[in-house]
Amino acid sequence: MHTLVCQPADAPALFSAEGLVGVVFLLTVALVVTGALIAVNARRLVRAVSGLAICFTGLAGVYYFLLSPFLAMMQMLIYVGAVSILIAFGIMMATPEEQQATGMHSKATLAGPLAFSVAALIFAALTLLGLKTEWQVFPRQGTFDIKEVGLSLLTTHGLVFELISIVLLLAIIGALVLAQKGRN
Amino acid sequence: MSGYWTDIVTGGKSLVTGLAITAREFFKPVVTEQYPWEVPTMTPLFRGHIELIGNEETGAPNCVVCGMCQRACPSVCISLDGKKNEGGKGKVLTSYIIDFTKCSLCGSCVESCNFNALRFSREYNLASFDKNDFIMDLIKRLEEQNRCTR
Amino acid sequence: METSMWHALLYLVGIMAFAGVNAAWLGWCERKGAARIQRRIGPCEAGFAGLLQPLADGLKLLSKQLLVPQGVDGIIFRVAPVLAMIPAITSMAVIPFSENIGARAMELSVLLLFALASIAMIAILLGGWASGNKYALISSARAVSQNLAYEIPMLLTVITVVMISGSMNLRDIAIDQQGGFWHWNIFRLENGHFLTMWISFIIFFICAIAETNRAPFDMAEAESELVAGFMTEYGSMGFGLFMMGEYLNIVVGACLTAVLFLGGWDCPFGLTPGIWWFLLKIYILIFTFIWIRWTYPRTQIYRLLNLSWKILIPFSLANLMVTAALIKVF
Repeated sequence: MHTLVCQPADAPALFSAEGLVGVVFLLTVALVVTGALIAVNARRLVRAVSGLAICFTGLAGVYYFLLSPFLAMMQMLIYVGAVSILIAFGIMMATPEEQQATGMHSKATLAGPLAFSVAALIFAALTLLGLKTEWQVFPRQGTFDIKEVGLSLLTTHGLVFELISIVLLLAIIGALVLAQKGRN
Repeated sequence: MSGYWTDIVTGGKSLVTGLAITAREFFKPVVTEQYPWEVPTMTPLFRGHIELIGNEETGAPNCVVCGMCQRACPSVCISLDGKKNEGGKGKVLTSYIIDFTKCSLCGSCVESCNFNALRFSREYNLASFDKNDFIMDLIKRLEEQNRCTR
Repeated sequence: METSMWHALLYLVGIMAFAGVNAAWLGWCERKGAARIQRRIGPCEAGFAGLLQPLADGLKLLSKQLLVPQGVDGIIFRVAPVLAMIPAITSMAVIPFSENIGARAMELSVLLLFALASIAMIAILLGGWASGNKYALISSARAVSQNLAYEIPMLLTVITVVMISGSMNLRDIAIDQQGGFWHWNIFRLENGHFLTMWISFIIFFICAIAETNRAPFDMAEAESELVAGFMTEYGSMGFGLFMMGEYLNIVVGACLTAVLFLGGWDCPFGLTPGIWWFLLKIYILIFTFIWIRWTYPRTQIYRLLNLSWKILIPFSLANLMVTAALIKVF
């Protein structure tokens, strides 16, 4: 597991263990990018949601490469298994018919180029930042363990944990209130 | 709240009872017949198409060609013909044809027969690709039966 | 554990074979079981006791045209059956068949199984949605609401097991239960867990039936109401893949139940642990799946959701608290 971090300086042979791992890494990245592109460009909502799910799956792979399998699993379980399905569910409930292409011929002709240029700017800035920064490889602290995650959640990040639970509580109460109104 | 617990208890009990019943059935012997391999015998009251009854000694049909069956038939599917008996009295049956495609197995013909000449057969293997297979010559059938029994 | 290329290849072939054989012949088992419960014989013409029936069915499905009807979303329509099959096979990779047989003894394998189960759910959703058919759409909506509702009590009961064993590794959980049936999580004497764990087991098993969309929870493919649900527009091997995926999900559910609650490969009397015990347990569980399917009629969708939200979830929450208390007290 410790040898998984890719070092471009000494590129390994394709059919060695490292080489194959590199190929898998590139595949996951490709999954993220294609998924995101599908999600943005698809004319049909089904495809957009599937693209989002693909993107999330790829992200789970990236987390795995960052030596955090727990996050990867959670990404799958929560984002792929719950979030994208809930989005799909919401769309399904709202518009049973196949959505017509909307917004493709928007009246605001400026919006497209503007959004594109802003996005390009952000992308360029982030890329520059990534290239300029001298990345330090942090030594791993301890062995990875869910126990550590649990302990830190309940000690170091206790306040955040409680805040999240308050948000969830509010969400549940809000849903109950909405449902109550709908019934009457 | 009391309904909640009784629901769970009675519901659970009924589920277990259901499982017990199917488990018991699982180990009981099979009751279905494997039709093409096992040929079932029909019950005495089974209504197949009608057939002629032959005289026990001679094997000739008991029919006297009175035509009551033909008249009784609501679907007009019986057609019979006879000729004068040479050297005796009455008539002899020359053709008895039933169009089984029209027959509704009502049994009026069997009831109307006063000479014990008609009965229901126990034939049930009657699938065919040809409609003409169901226009049956009952005299031929009786002759075949006679050949088998004698 | 030594990980050579041959090891991986061997497990790959082995798991594919196990999955394929199970997916094909469980169909035969189901038909035979259903027939016996209804006091019929079941398949008996193709080969001895109809054992060649799955091959005949497979050939029939393969020789049919893969029809993509008009108005469907072509790509998603084609991908969905494959997506239904993938997670079921992949799940096999982390299941410990015995102490030495198991492709990958992964930390977090329990989580992986649930993550993969959510992909299977997406397959049903997409398959139903892409079909462009009202029946299929209703079916996938039902399947999703059902799966979301039953995932909660299932995870809650799994948490009780994880708390007792202190690990999310299926292999560790199984090793933790070695040494006779009084060590199994369902009857565990230690800390008095047997008081509540049998409830956990029942809840888990009900949820497993619901998650695999089996009768009496087969709302997704209720033939009498929705033709065939999300499979309505599928024919040929697309349909075949959905069916195989369903049977494989049953196998995975049975394996998971056996590992989490019934001690994995452990012998009930603590004598000769081994893969045969594991196989015996999963096939008894699979038989129970079939038995239940042919015993109960289909429920209604709102009853199904009521069962989950009003009975299973409160019970599993209470169970979780009692288990935690038992661990703390003793």
